[in-house]
Amino acid sequence: MTQEDKLSIAVPTGALLSGALGVLAESGLARLTADELGRQLLIDRDVVRVIMVRPSDVPAYVDHGAADLGIVGKDILWESPGSHYELVDLRFGGCRLVLAVPDASRLNGPDTWPPMIRVATKYPRTATSWFEAHGQAVEVVRLHGSVELAPQVGLVDGIVDLTATGRTLKENRLRITAVLGTSTARLIANQASLKTRSAAVQSVVSKLREASGGDR
Amino acid sequence: MTPQLGGVPGFRDLLPLEAEILREAQESLLAEMRRWGYRHVITPLVENMDVLDTGLGLEQRRRLFKFTDARGDVVALVGERTVPVARLVAGKLRSAALPLRLCYSGPVLSTDEGRFQQRRETYQVGAELIGASGPVADAEVIALAARCMEATGIRRYQIDVGHAEFFHGIMDAVKLPDEVKAAVRHALVARDFVALESLLEGTPLKSAEHELLLRFPALRGGPEILEAARGLVRNRRSEAALAELARVRELLVAHGIGDVVVLDLGAIRDFDYYTGVIFEGYGPDFGRPIAQGGRYDALLARFGRPAPATGFMIQLDLVSEMLTRSQRPPALPRIDAALAWNESGLSTALRLGSTLRLFGMRAVVDTQARSQAEAKAWWRAIGAANLVHCRSEATVSWSSDGQRTRSLPPEQVAGRLAGGVT
Repeated sequence: MTQEDKLSIAVPTGALLSGALGVLAESGLARLTADELGRQLLIDRDVVRVIMVRPSDVPAYVDHGAADLGIVGKDILWESPGSHYELVDLRFGGCRLVLAVPDASRLNGPDTWPPMIRVATKYPRTATSWFEAHGQAVEVVRLHGSVELAPQVGLVDGIVDLTATGRTLKENRLRITAVLGTSTARLIANQASLKTRSAAVQSVVSKLREASGGDR
Repeated sequence: MTPQLGGVPGFRDLLPLEAEILREAQESLLAEMRRWGYRHVITPLVENMDVLDTGLGLEQRRRLFKFTDARGDVVALVGERTVPVARLVAGKLRSAALPLRLCYSGPVLSTDEGRFQQRRETYQVGAELIGASGPVADAEVIALAARCMEATGIRRYQIDVGHAEFFHGIMDAVKLPDEVKAAVRHALVARDFVALESLLEGTPLKSAEHELLLRFPALRGGPEILEAARGLVRNRRSEAALAELARVRELLVAHGIGDVVVLDLGAIRDFDYYTGVIFEGYGPDFGRPIAQGGRYDALLARFGRPAPATGFMIQLDLVSEMLTRSQRPPALPRIDAALAWNESGLSTALRLGSTLRLFGMRAVVDTQARSQAEAKAWWRAIGAANLVHCRSEATVSWSSDGQRTRSLPPEQVAGRLAGGVT
């Protein structure tokens, strides 16, 4: 938490940034452009301080209390569960986590899976537990980028990756055989902030809820 | 091959300043507990697995360091210290009259790296009040936790008080199929209110309890929150919990800590373990609770001596971390006197050291003979307040911060240092 009374909100770089800045503006909490934030990374406004961090770092900032609140994709939360409260579905940044295989692959439903399936992913935790829940032995190869390439060069049978439109998959001649989950942007809160700065947190939460089109 | 000087990952060394802060905080906590009549007990670091199986939940058991001892028994390193205390109360202390007030301090271990940092060994100080039920006992333990936080030197803090039965009553009252109920519970424990909302949205029957569940994180405040909740719940269990909380709050005001207490009806804890009033302590600008506790009336029965019980533990390593980060962090106490010597001064130096320590001062005698100039360099290196260079039985030269070096008989130097005169 910050020393002052101001609440801090961590927003993610990348695909969710414009949506995050959109709800912040819509809620009247802070009007910021991506350029401004890109230059300074930390900007103070009347009610809130906005900090910009890598998407996968948002839970760390919030769990440690360096940010009171955070905006982050559900896909990140699957991979790093923590002590934060997940409070609001902000309803933007929708995408699906899918199992995709090469167009030419014989793999389809669970009955076509080999005794041990090899998948490449940036989501090892989610992928492992999903296959385990289906009683399927899996070898997960953790990659950090260009996951689509892995099955084409024979590294793995398929990939578990996030897709919004499916275009990248198509371009790489991959087809979706299963959906592991759907993800949207979420508002998370530090547990201690929720307890010790309750009124301020609740007020910001309800403004963001309203701005995102939530009814409560 | 070089040995791993950094130690095992997840385990850390505490350097002199950290160790000093931790030890001081531990002593303050135990001293406060003793002032309330709690007796210090020391239970082993290792427990039999059957004891821990009896007392702990599945998740906690999974995180234990387990191994077999030479006799083939499966044993584990303790992951918390309430279960060992319960074993003690049901075993070696079974003829001791209840209620018993016990306190403990020690490390606890976890194979998992923590949620916050890669720490697998942490330190806990705790107190248990066993054999007393009702709000008076609940309030005693909460007030003790509050005074303990003060005793460590934490200036601003807050104690959140809730009730496990309030939650159980709501879960009884919501009309949901069992599997949905299980999912609701799971979502709550995971603090996932987005999942909770979508679970409840899909159910036809709406009740006041539905609404309460969705508002869980916001159900907090002063006594007015009890009034508001009373208007919303329609079940006996939750109503009884609210009445008990109101009474506990009155007692906490009488204990003199009313202003640090916040009522938190949405407290989410291990609901399989806690049976009544629960609480958490928060320090200033610190992202997680440093004290946790509550009523666990079912535990002792599992060890064959049914008894109501309540208690708490303070995360000692978090307390010292908070103190280290505070605006005026504690400093390592200085060495009072550096005693240097040359050929004929060693016995004087040793005698002077004994005398100063008798007066409770910290005195270090050098391990090798040095000239006056070398002695000054050594003095600065160890950062002592005074340097006494012993040259003979009769005279020593005494230097101290910002003072001229003086030659005096050793008795006079001892007298002046012990008397605080320079």
